[in-house]
Amino acid sequence: MTDMQTIVAKGLKAAAPDRHQLDFRVDVKGVTTGWCVLDDKEDLLAVARFLTEHAARLSTITAYSTEKAKRTGNFEIAYHFDLDGDTLTVTVHVPPESEVDSLTPLFGNADWPEREMAELYGIKLRGHPIQQRLFIDESLGEAVFDQYIPYSTMVNAATTKGLWEKVIAKGKEEVTP
Amino acid sequence: MSTYKIPVGPLHVALEEPMYFKVEVQGETVVGLDITAGHVHRGIEYLVAKRNIHQNIVLTERICSLCSNSHPFSYCMALERIANITVPERVEYLRVIADEIKRIASHLFNVAIAAHLVGFDSLFMHVMETREIMQDTKEAIFGNRMDLGANCIGGVRFDLDAEGKSYLAAQLAKLTEPLAEFRKIYETNGSVLRRTKGVGVLPRQDAIALGLVGPVARASGVDYDVRRKAPYVVYDKLDFDVQTLPDGDVWSRTMIRLREVSESVKIIEHCLRDIPQGPISIDKIPDIPAGESIAKSEAPRGELIYYLRTDGSDKPARLKWRVPSYNNWKGLQVMMAGCKLADIALIVGSIDPCVSCTER
Repeated sequence: MTDMQTIVAKGLKAAAPDRHQLDFRVDVKGVTTGWCVLDDKEDLLAVARFLTEHAARLSTITAYSTEKAKRTGNFEIAYHFDLDGDTLTVTVHVPPESEVDSLTPLFGNADWPEREMAELYGIKLRGHPIQQRLFIDESLGEAVFDQYIPYSTMVNAATTKGLWEKVIAKGKEEVTP
Repeated sequence: MSTYKIPVGPLHVALEEPMYFKVEVQGETVVGLDITAGHVHRGIEYLVAKRNIHQNIVLTERICSLCSNSHPFSYCMALERIANITVPERVEYLRVIADEIKRIASHLFNVAIAAHLVGFDSLFMHVMETREIMQDTKEAIFGNRMDLGANCIGGVRFDLDAEGKSYLAAQLAKLTEPLAEFRKIYETNGSVLRRTKGVGVLPRQDAIALGLVGPVARASGVDYDVRRKAPYVVYDKLDFDVQTLPDGDVWSRTMIRLREVSESVKIIEHCLRDIPQGPISIDKIPDIPAGESIAKSEAPRGELIYYLRTDGSDKPARLKWRVPSYNNWKGLQVMMAGCKLADIALIVGSIDPCVSCTER
């Protein structure tokens, strides 16, 4: 086992004993990717805490709903951590209407990716200091990735024609007598 | 003294791309910063789930202009990992060449903008003129000045014969003299030093705590480069030095990029010397099974990470990427604390921000 594999296996044993699956792949260049699925999303903070002790960096977070998840209504959230070049992906399952812990107390850069998954998928965060939207306009409801809405509405009229129509309409409202 | 809030942007803060800064000032000193994003959110992560694996090579190349090659490159690597495709060695060298050509052009663009923001416009034009050597090179080899269209699944879409190799070598040789000159100017010119030394400082511990990447982190003494830490294609066989500087100011960030341009030239020359003969793609693309993979690369602005999830169909179940700029915006809050109003554009420019990348 490489250093990364030993550290991760040991840390997970302490943080989520018997409540996780773990797998490693090593590519031809010797770069390791670790794949961990937590049975219980409540173990997330404990796992993240041991990772901070080993100088892990949060690379990014991916939220998605798989075909299976769509049947059960669950979301899956994959947290990707960098450990000196190697990558560990920690996945949790989140039922609808339930909350997931924010990693912002441990990783300052969790702020943006968490707000993004909240607005795109309607995932609820526990303990995130900022409730504001990141990219998507407030006038659109939650979870734009799972709604039937026109694409140009979702991207807030980021096409020239749509934007221009908005500007013209706004201009007419604001005509001073 | 009372404080005021001043809107900076969203248009034309340092570049044309929109980002809105609400800056709190006391006199002309910045005491607070709020960043509002979302002006060019195009929902590309949604679109990629509606396109097949081949269409996504074209689409991902259009996420960004300056790092356009890094996207299809990393996306193809992620797919190849799921499908267990080993690309021919010649492909790995050609992919490095394409990526490093883009890095030179991207870094020189930022070095030029830095000169412009300092008010040294003759230097700006001089650097842009030198960058034009790389733009010509791209046009000659790939047929395009920005999007190279260099990658496909299991291979590349361009090749270099003996004439192409000597043309590229000659183009690189043209860079040597101006690069040495720029380095001397950035190291000694009073106007440059007065505006950039000790300005917009990001201490090492903040760079680490906020997860910053790329030249911005390396200029604060963080020794992390994906090409060295998590080697891909043939970077483990190539000779280059990872550049770091300790001070974390605007000057250091510019110098890191300038030095990395020279390293990229070295890398391409090394590739031209060692590139083996062989095919430029695999013969047949196998079916892409269900699976998940990670692919990381060092884009011009730092670590780019792709996460791909497939379900056995011809469309990705989920394709997610995080660009280096996404992390680096957070650094501005530290860099701008206590800076002068007049330095805001300079500091924003020094993280080499990419908004269309960030928002997708």
